[in-house]
Amino acid sequence: MASDALRNQVATKWQESFNRLNRGSPGISGLMLFSEQAWTVASAFLYPRDLGEPPKDFNNQKIRTAFDVLMQCRMLPMLLESFVEDMRKRQHLITRDVEEYMAQYEATNSPSTIASLILRLADWYATWAPGGELGHTISAAFVTAFQTHIFSVLPPAFAGGFKRLIASTLELSTEAQDSRLWTAFEVLGLADRYEALIASVCYEHIEEHVLATCKGKWDEPMLPTLREWMADNVLPWMLLPYARGAKTTDEAKTMLQGVGSRFDFHVCKTLCDLRTQEVFDIVIDYPDSTPALQDLKECLQRVDQRAQLVQAIRKANKRRLLHPGADTKDILTQYVSIIRCLRIIDPPGVLLFKVADPIRRYLRERPDTIRSIVASLVADSESGDSLVDENEPIQPLSVAQIDDYMDPNWEPEPIDAGPEFRTNKPSDVISTLVSIYDSKDLFIKELQVLLAQRLLAVTDGDYEKERRNIEILKIRFGEAPLQVCEVMLRDMTDSRRIDQHVKTQQPSILHPTIISRHFWPQLQSSKIVMPGQLRSIQESYSKEYTLFKPDKKLRWLSHLGTVNLDIQLQDRTITADVPPLEAAFIELFSEKDSWSVEELISRVGAVERGVAVKALLTWVDLGVLKEEEGHTFRLLETADSSGGLRPSGSRTIIDEQPTVVTVQQQQAEQMRVYWKFIEGMLTNLGSLPLDRIQTMLKFAQGYDRTVDQLAGFMEAARREGLVTVREGLWRLNRG
Amino acid sequence: MKVVINRWHAIAQWQWDTGRTDEHGDTEEDVCGICRVPFEGCCPTCKMPGDDCPLIWGECSHVFHMHCLLKWIGTPASKQQCPMDRRPWVTAERKVSGS
Ligand SMILES: [Zn+2]
Ligand SMILES: [Zn+2]
Ligand SMILES: [Zn+2]
Repeated sequence: MASDALRNQVATKWQESFNRLNRGSPGISGLMLFSEQAWTVASAFLYPRDLGEPPKDFNNQKIRTAFDVLMQCRMLPMLLESFVEDMRKRQHLITRDVEEYMAQYEATNSPSTIASLILRLADWYATWAPGGELGHTISAAFVTAFQTHIFSVLPPAFAGGFKRLIASTLELSTEAQDSRLWTAFEVLGLADRYEALIASVCYEHIEEHVLATCKGKWDEPMLPTLREWMADNVLPWMLLPYARGAKTTDEAKTMLQGVGSRFDFHVCKTLCDLRTQEVFDIVIDYPDSTPALQDLKECLQRVDQRAQLVQAIRKANKRRLLHPGADTKDILTQYVSIIRCLRIIDPPGVLLFKVADPIRRYLRERPDTIRSIVASLVADSESGDSLVDENEPIQPLSVAQIDDYMDPNWEPEPIDAGPEFRTNKPSDVISTLVSIYDSKDLFIKELQVLLAQRLLAVTDGDYEKERRNIEILKIRFGEAPLQVCEVMLRDMTDSRRIDQHVKTQQPSILHPTIISRHFWPQLQSSKIVMPGQLRSIQESYSKEYTLFKPDKKLRWLSHLGTVNLDIQLQDRTITADVPPLEAAFIELFSEKDSWSVEELISRVGAVERGVAVKALLTWVDLGVLKEEEGHTFRLLETADSSGGLRPSGSRTIIDEQPTVVTVQQQQAEQMRVYWKFIEGMLTNLGSLPLDRIQTMLKFAQGYDRTVDQLAGFMEAARREGLVTVREGLWRLNRG
Repeated sequence: MKVVINRWHAIAQWQWDTGRTDEHGDTEEDVCGICRVPFEGCCPTCKMPGDDCPLIWGECSHVFHMHCLLKWIGTPASKQQCPMDRRPWVTAERKVSGS
């Protein structure tokens, strides 16, 4: 009950209001008594009782009357004040409960304890609530006072428990939800106060689910599945916090619209983040990962994270791709996959443009990039070396296009395009690769080298595959640059025809490929002369040739080709495929059994000693020769038992060394000529920046290198320890 | 020991037998005096070298791509003379080499 002080205060107020009511006239004791009674009834009714006490039985009519009287006496504010004061005095009861439950929660960490606490608080609320029929002012004052109190006594740990409780409800089916709990959240103001927290629980729930179901799963579209999951699992739960009080489905829908869209956004964002993180491996996995790319595309339309994606790809490329340890071929493969993948995500090509630049710059610096591209251009589709998708139509190289505003399909550039972006009309992969370089001449040269290499390796007269390759390349690069290849093919045909003619004159075991020297790339040069029967075979062929083509003669490139021969020894016969130099040497051993390296070299002409020894070791390996003291080799007519078992039988000893000088070799050779200019320059001037060296080299006769090529050369010279570079200044390495 | 060659895949270049035999072949390149392209290349109008773009020998010992010489002879300025020595052009009978 109210304190004495309050009672006195109330009595005084009573007197005042009574006097006011009576306009100063003597009092009517009945009325006075009546209003005093009304006060007693009303405050007893409102008095916040303990949950343990039984509810008092009140006569509704009596209470109503009491409140009416108090209202007429304008005593309601007083009553309210007294009620709030009573609550304040009794709130220790609630505090006690909160402390008790929270202690229990600290011990168990069980969200159900929090649930019990909330239901208990709801009981307190229901018991103390004055009832809506007493007017808005009273209820509003009560709610404020009640909530203020509970929020002041709920400890910080409560928020964590509440979050857990909400999370636990997410796992329940709609039927299993405790609706009392959700009503309590609402009534106690928890729903409002912890709105962000409730949403975060749902966000985290979504994140967990996306990670658990989508991580590394790229071979099927996940976004539709996720949305289904949202509709089936999360949406029914959302009705509890976000569509309370909805009377119809439509009403619920309207209420859920905003929040539903927020959660859908979060699904997209989470998946987008995940796929962005995984993007490098998704690219590796392409085309199996196409569904993941489709998802990413859809997510990006909803979530603006294109910049993050670009960053992620660039970072991953830098870390995992563009380093000295990576194969050029692998870099190209990944680049092509990136092209294909980003084409799915972003058809206008803005993302590709932003991602491609560092890759292209890096590839440009690698010496074997062109060769790798070219090799893949003519690779068998079966070998898997091809960067070109077989299904992609073969088309001429496309040159960088300028916007055509008359094009009915023209669209403005995407807003994040940036000033240097030029719309790349989806050009084919080959065009994109070739465009890494400013000119396609280097490709043509490298193509010629490669095709020449392959044609020269043809020993069975079947070069249909190369013919097909050249046809395809003509479509891509145009007829003119491949004209020399046409001549190569013609040489192949002519060689076969000549061979057939010679065969009709006299049987020959020699089958040369006769080439038109100005139309083939530079071949490895050597001037070896074949000895013995090998020479006779060549001469007799030459004779037949000149009889057939009276105005022409043959010049043998004796060091090139392959010889299949039998070595018949006393106790064994060895059959082998060997390069001509090996054949020449063993032929000489049929003259005598023992030769020094020098003697042998003098018989075949210009051969480097190292090359000669290597050829001789081929026979040592085959157990035909034995190396003896003083760089001498001796024929083993009978197998050398001490040297272990030497297998007889068929062997192929063909060098993998290309017969054709590669473009890179040619350039390195030419560049070497300029080294003495550079050396002189740096000797006289100390140190120079690259562009100065370039400018000065232009005075050297015939110098036609680009500054990039010079940079590549200087870099190679640095690796060889000839020069050093510091802050862009090159100087001779005098160390 | 006996070495038996079963099969030999070799590589050779063809050359015109211009009569000026140079055993090493690659010292001084023989070029057509009209178009300055090597004999083993082809004249500016041809794409295929060799039999498709043959040489022509003059009595004066000068040799040209046949197409180049015919084109030259076809111009009034040529006066039917060898462009190198201005002697009247007479095509030489080719001696069959290999003797
Ligand atoms: Zn000519
Ligand atoms: Zn011609
Ligand atoms: Zn002449």
